[in-house]
Amino acid sequence: MTITTSAPPSATGTKGPDGRAQRSRKHSFREIWWIYVFLLPTLLGYGAYTVYPLLASWWYALLDWPGFAVSGEFVGLQNFERLLTDHQFWNAFGKSLLFLVIAVPARVGLALLLALWLNSKRTPFSGFFRTLFFLPVVTTGAIIGIVFTLLLDGGGPISLGLVWAGITETPTNLVANAGTSLYAGIAVWVWKWLGITMIYWLAALQTVPQDVHEAAMLDGANGRKEFWHVTLPLLVPFLVIITLIDTVSALNVFDLMQTLTAGGPAFSSEVIEIFIYRTAFAATVPQLGYASAAAVLFGLLTVIIAVAQGAGVRWARARMGGGS
Amino acid sequence: MTSSKHGASGVAVPQGRAFEMRRREFLGAVGVGGLTAVLAACTGGGQSAREAAQDDGTLQWWDQFRPLTGMFEASLFEPYMQANNGVTIERRQMEGPDLAQAIQVARRSNQMPDVHSLAGLQATPAALVSEGWFQSIGAHADFEGSALGDQLFDGIHRFDGEVYSVPLFSGRMHEATPWVNTELLGQADVDPAESPATWDDLRAAAKRITDRTGVHGLVVPLKEVEYLKTLVTALAQSAGAPGTVGWTVDWRTGEYVYDSQPFVDALEFLVSLQADGVVHPSSASMGARDARARWAAGEAGIYLWGPWIIGGLMVDEPEAVERGIDAWSLPGAETTRNPIGRGPGTGVFWVNKDSQQPEVAAELLLQMSSREFQLQLASAMDQPPALVDVVAEADVHPAYARNIEHLAKDVRISPVPEAGNPSTWRVAAEMQDVHPDLGEIAQAILTGSGGDIKGELTKLNDAMNAERDRAIEAVSSEGADVGLEDWVFENWDPATDYDQAAYGAR
Repeated sequence: MTITTSAPPSATGTKGPDGRAQRSRKHSFREIWWIYVFLLPTLLGYGAYTVYPLLASWWYALLDWPGFAVSGEFVGLQNFERLLTDHQFWNAFGKSLLFLVIAVPARVGLALLLALWLNSKRTPFSGFFRTLFFLPVVTTGAIIGIVFTLLLDGGGPISLGLVWAGITETPTNLVANAGTSLYAGIAVWVWKWLGITMIYWLAALQTVPQDVHEAAMLDGANGRKEFWHVTLPLLVPFLVIITLIDTVSALNVFDLMQTLTAGGPAFSSEVIEIFIYRTAFAATVPQLGYASAAAVLFGLLTVIIAVAQGAGVRWARARMGGGS
Repeated sequence: MTSSKHGASGVAVPQGRAFEMRRREFLGAVGVGGLTAVLAACTGGGQSAREAAQDDGTLQWWDQFRPLTGMFEASLFEPYMQANNGVTIERRQMEGPDLAQAIQVARRSNQMPDVHSLAGLQATPAALVSEGWFQSIGAHADFEGSALGDQLFDGIHRFDGEVYSVPLFSGRMHEATPWVNTELLGQADVDPAESPATWDDLRAAAKRITDRTGVHGLVVPLKEVEYLKTLVTALAQSAGAPGTVGWTVDWRTGEYVYDSQPFVDALEFLVSLQADGVVHPSSASMGARDARARWAAGEAGIYLWGPWIIGGLMVDEPEAVERGIDAWSLPGAETTRNPIGRGPGTGVFWVNKDSQQPEVAAELLLQMSSREFQLQLASAMDQPPALVDVVAEADVHPAYARNIEHLAKDVRISPVPEAGNPSTWRVAAEMQDVHPDLGEIAQAILTGSGGDIKGELTKLNDAMNAERDRAIEAVSSEGADVGLEDWVFENWDPATDYDQAAYGAR
């Protein structure tokens, strides 16, 4: 049954629906104005530390600004033109994309496997293991970078373990070898953030109704068939959201990579953020405008991904029947 | 629904209306306050804080000299504050790279300290003076008449006839002294008192340490490209290359010399050490300070670094000094010894243009220029003091004193283009970094990802010559009086110091 109410027509006939809506909004604002007061600190912080730097970086990208000068000189799009022919920039851009392409599927896939294992009723000490896998998430990225520098260097336990196992003949410095440094960074990044993606998956798995599992079992599906034909299709909307969240996360790896490899050796692990940092702070003459232009181009990539994320989320909600 | 209430005066006041007014006022006040806070944070908040600090007589002092902390406090700042009521000196010590970043950020947010060093900033003092960073101090104290007066150079410390800074440390030093762990050398039956004459001798000593002690012969912090740049340059100079760290050029022609044979030999020497298996396997993950810590922990026998190592060890790892440390002179490629070229001692501390206390800063710097203070500087065993002869009188570790003797024999003061023509700073500022640079090439080669040494160095050399030519043309077109001839010092003799008279006779 549906109850509908309708407002009586105006006695004078002078106030139409617009006037009523305006009054209603005003009335509504009187009741909820305090919400905006509580939001104000966040809005101010967001404005000062997100919106302002974002807008400023767009302006700086149009300046020739040596770091030791108080201000820059407007040069239009020259910085962007220079970036297009800067192989160091494209090297870093490519490394960031490679990082993303390898790290995100690895993190999403491994976390799903972990979540499935920990979600099983037959897994002992699942609570303990969940905590264990989540611990790196709450550890500072820079600290993890420093610790893994020691663990992965030529005299570290991992290198010696590889020799002991006969996988390598001599100790290998995995973070200081141009062939392995980026992949070492990817591996450490996946390990560090695996726990949070695992939590996402565990939450997603709770949404799969138990009766669906039971129905599949009654129909004779084994564990693998049940996963591929029942569980996984139900998880697809979550897969989209989790992948997009992890993708954005994979574009913010400065603290870890700077402490782990500093982009080296020979720029083999220089992701775009390290390029920006090096150009803005560590160059002989720091180039703030040029670094900002690189950041803007990089930001465009992030925006494209964010738009894709928005579309993905909308699609996933529609698939889940969650409305708009 | 709108209700009304009678006020004290008996006038009916619509309650909702009164409430709305208060809300607007409140929101307005919060909005204005928030906006003020945002604007303060974005533009001028720091300036206000700084001005407040200056008003109460506080002099902010930033530098990177950790081993000098105790001496600065006890021998300089505390006595000065006691003798001058109302003056407060606040010093912040940071690592060099951190200090460079802090200064850049402070500059843009108007929060510069009154006095700071230039650690980590690659720009020349001439460029910074021209950009209006500093104020002169010559009018506040007699630096020309001080013990360091004859070490003041135009274009380095003096600009347009005004003194801006003083060279508290000697330029007669390099960053590649082989520091040795005498305990390990004793176990390997290597005489720590006898410096190796050639690279091959150093290589043999490292091999013997590795073979006889089970500890790696030496550690080379390959993660730090700036370290590698200075190390390779010093080794190349010991093999006969001209130039200095900032300008790797042949002063007789003004051309870059990265592709010369000494640079090739220097890189091949480092590769040979690796091939011998004497380099610590974790070297590629280490910065210079990491390497010092690992060397101090007894993980390697030899570490090539600057004279300041003992001062740092005395603060952080004194047990490494007590266990036994000595300094060798840097060997040459052959038995013929070639001088290492370095520019004159640079200005260390600079007074910010907006500082309200240049007199205080100048008085402190004048005290630091005295022979007494130079003696104390020597005792801290950091960089050698400008009056380097005071080391003989100072209470220093014998290895520090021995290193100073080696440096006196090995290092010669080279020409500096800024001292010849201060306008050359504009070329340095215009030049864009060339990558890979010398340190990055060395890192690539020593981590197994580099190509042909000679080919890489030739590419670098050509790119540096081309970039400098472009920069000269660019600044000349803007009116700067500068040309390639400003990098040519035909009267330069590698075996003698290039002094004030040499600049005059050029």
